[in-house]
Amino acid sequence: MLALSGKFEELRGLPEGSPRELLRVTTNRDTPKVLARAAAYLCDTADVPSGFRVYLALEHNRRHLDEISGKAPTAVLPASASFLRDGDIIRLSPRNASYRVLFRVHSNHNGLLLTERCNHYCLMCSQPPRDVNDDWVMDDVERLIPMLPITTRQLGFTGGEPTLHGERFVDLLALTKRLLPRTAIHVLSNGRRFADTRFVEGYAAIQHPDLMVGIPLYSDDPVRHNYVVQADNAFDETIRGILNLKRLKQRVELRVVLHRQTIDRLPKLAEYIGRNLLFVDQVALMGLEITGFTRGNLEKLWIDPYDYRSTLESAVDILAGYRVPTAVYNHQLCVVTDRVRPFCVQSISDWKNEYLPVCATCDLRAQCGGFFSSGVRYRHSDHIRPVVTT
Amino acid sequence: MSIEKKIDVDLSSFNLDAIKRAAYRCSNRFAFDMVIAAQTASCTLIFDDDKSSDFVELAISVFRKELLDQDLRQSIRAETENVRNVILAHAFSLTGLLKDEPVQGD
Amino acid sequence: MSRFKAIEEYEAPRADAYRLLPFRFTALDDSSYVLTNIAGEHLVLSNESLRALVRHNLPRGSPEFVELRARHFLQDSVDSVAVDLLALKLRTRYRRLPEFTALHIFVVTLRCEHSCPYCQVSRQTEDVAAFDMTPETADKALDFVFRSPAAAIKIEFQGGEPLLNFGLIRYVVEQAEKRNASEKRDLRFVIATNLALATREILSFCAAHSIDISTSLDGPEDLHNKNRPRPGRNSHQKAVEGIQLAREIVGRERVSALMTTTSKSLDRVRDIIDEYLRLEFPGIFLRPLSPYGFAVKTNAIAAYTTARWLEFYKEGLEYILHLNQVGVRFREFYASVILKKMLTSDESGFVDLVSPAGIGIKALVYNYDGAVYASDESRMLAEMGDYTFRLGSLETDSYEDVMLSDRLLDPIEESMTTSVPMCNECAFEPFCGADPVFHHTAYGDVVGRKPESAFCARNMAIFRYLIAKMRDDSGARRLFLNWANQ
Repeated sequence: MLALSGKFEELRGLPEGSPRELLRVTTNRDTPKVLARAAAYLCDTADVPSGFRVYLALEHNRRHLDEISGKAPTAVLPASASFLRDGDIIRLSPRNASYRVLFRVHSNHNGLLLTERCNHYCLMCSQPPRDVNDDWVMDDVERLIPMLPITTRQLGFTGGEPTLHGERFVDLLALTKRLLPRTAIHVLSNGRRFADTRFVEGYAAIQHPDLMVGIPLYSDDPVRHNYVVQADNAFDETIRGILNLKRLKQRVELRVVLHRQTIDRLPKLAEYIGRNLLFVDQVALMGLEITGFTRGNLEKLWIDPYDYRSTLESAVDILAGYRVPTAVYNHQLCVVTDRVRPFCVQSISDWKNEYLPVCATCDLRAQCGGFFSSGVRYRHSDHIRPVVTT
Repeated sequence: MSIEKKIDVDLSSFNLDAIKRAAYRCSNRFAFDMVIAAQTASCTLIFDDDKSSDFVELAISVFRKELLDQDLRQSIRAETENVRNVILAHAFSLTGLLKDEPVQGD
Repeated sequence: MSRFKAIEEYEAPRADAYRLLPFRFTALDDSSYVLTNIAGEHLVLSNESLRALVRHNLPRGSPEFVELRARHFLQDSVDSVAVDLLALKLRTRYRRLPEFTALHIFVVTLRCEHSCPYCQVSRQTEDVAAFDMTPETADKALDFVFRSPAAAIKIEFQGGEPLLNFGLIRYVVEQAEKRNASEKRDLRFVIATNLALATREILSFCAAHSIDISTSLDGPEDLHNKNRPRPGRNSHQKAVEGIQLAREIVGRERVSALMTTTSKSLDRVRDIIDEYLRLEFPGIFLRPLSPYGFAVKTNAIAAYTTARWLEFYKEGLEYILHLNQVGVRFREFYASVILKKMLTSDESGFVDLVSPAGIGIKALVYNYDGAVYASDESRMLAEMGDYTFRLGSLETDSYEDVMLSDRLLDPIEESMTTSVPMCNECAFEPFCGADPVFHHTAYGDVVGRKPESAFCARNMAIFRYLIAKMRDDSGARRLFLNWANQ
């Protein structure tokens, strides 16, 4: 798993009171001076070109900074930042000598966090909400968008609940459409703000060529859905939001995280979707990630995916029966049935896929997404075994 | 010749509409006659004389069951009449033209 | 973590009573009922639970309560969106109503070289002038065709044997396509033919104009030939040759077959299905016995016939389920029509099981002589001397004369299942239809008395059978869901 954020081993030349900076990382010593002035040079040899805004080096290369030290700001990165590449974009925070990699050129799924605030409190939230003023996060994102390569294939907007920014969120989408006209956008939202007619009309008015909002729906039973997201009226407003979005022909994905609180009624939810929400564009059934609140609620949430494999199969059969495009994420191929396997998508994250030792002899390893590292570390199915396809 | 069976129905338990609907449903089993006096409907079920006693008993039990069901249907109709009108009004309203509505299957 | 609330805290407050949403119920068997909500979705409930539900005694949080709330049979304070969803589903169900008369049947000739005993319409004659449709009549019919507002229009050629007047078929196709250049409908053609006279030239024309072929196949050779005599006694052989040739020239998926069920068919359902399998058809339509042409029966014989046909149907369906279980994909089309209504908000365009009735508003028939009929059965009725459903004539009547006539609108209105006795309270009403022509023929009025109606008995038995099957057999349920969405 990649550590996108962290603390510098050492930061020089930028006192604590200095403002945050967004910088493009480069390893190109021939960068024209006019661009180098705003870029961070990543050193891996002693001969360091002059004219860059900041000089970075990984721990094991820190001696390369000696020459330029004192003439320009320098920062030493921990070994965990070794994934950094030319073209990536980094935020440098002198206040606590920390950094965050906001954009990776080689990632298919760059996600931009727009806020940590949320009006839900999901039992299995992987990004536990914080009620803090985070307008500055949007400031940074608005500065980041113009820096992104126009060739970026896809961008995600996540949170917290991005729509809590209201009009500013809609404006951000419009900005992104103008600056990155060919970049697909995937928004993760609980969908409730779209119950507001004016808001959803503003959203639709952008007429983005490739925009999808992924909305979680955890049950056909409003009580159970509200329980999982820990919010009253969530189900009602979410459904209204979905109806409004489709009324205005916006693309909607339904997402279901599978765990002990949602699995029992999954086939009923599939039927509910087939009868009431047949116009959604796709459904994503997702395996549980053991991060955030999940670890604290593990007893309520954990169920071995192998044990629910036939329930999952029923649900997939129903969705396929209704011709709803369906995909299964974050399930190892050995814990799902034959009929479900064609629906499994290799993990959408390009973070290093991890496997168990027992996977070494599995015939399906190349197609299997493997595990989250949190799964390897904390909890995974007891039934992981190599599949032999003779 | 025909077989006649008499059944008294208490009109404080079942109203006339329920009795008529129940009788209608059974009209392939027997012909039906009714005389109302005060709180009682005196019903006569008229069977063809070639019908067996099993057939007659079954028909009577079907009639009684149907009375109960009709009573239930009336409760449902009474309770849901308003919301039924709301749903129909929404379904066929002219605001939001048909082609703007998200249609299942499109 | 103590900051997380228990699920009970998300239930509606105890003091809140639940409210019923509109639904109907009909007995499924001795111990349970089928309930259908206003959008036509069904659910099976025990007798006790139904009474508890209506008396407001159903325990909150019980599995049945949760199910009834999720399926829109009741509502409480945690769910306000049920009404919107029900309205949306209802609207979806009715969305095709404004696009009336999608099917136009041209009876291009009454001549036929077969002499099938159950047929009411054909004439054995060489007298072309007396029994063939003329181009002038066809032109007037096409005027009617394009008056229909439907975006998708299908023109079907029937007879007699329509290929005996192939010249007129060619004329209509070419004229329709010419007019469609500006009309821009989704225009399709189909010829209902026994294929005995299908030449390469005719089939090439069909291929060039994407014309579908619908032929008759009553079963294996002995059964088919007994049902469908022709000179040479080789109807089956001709049909099979025709099917193969048509597939080669017009295209495999453009050739379909329909069976006619006679009393001789009733013991042979597996043989009939096997014949369709042998000829690699994707499925079969197990059709009811046609009442037309048979003498009016007493109630006893009618009841026997219905019961006997139901045995035929169930045996056929069980066999088809078995075939699917062993990996053979094969479908029954009547069940598919019904299942689409049971499991989706869509309809299949099948004209004989809809309310309001399909006469005129789903299909119109233009006879060779210019008479306009409300349906195919209406035309057969006329051949037997009953002109109740003859709506007018292309020679003398305008489109408005025909479509706005009382002859058409009264039976549609009077037979609507949402308002006639028994149907209006029947749980199966969303799956069923009005058949004013059948009821008029069998019982003398367009509504009939449903307790006596063979149409009602037959359809209710099928609905119960399919619902019970889905409840008891998850494999069948999965298969039916696929059929419903095809």
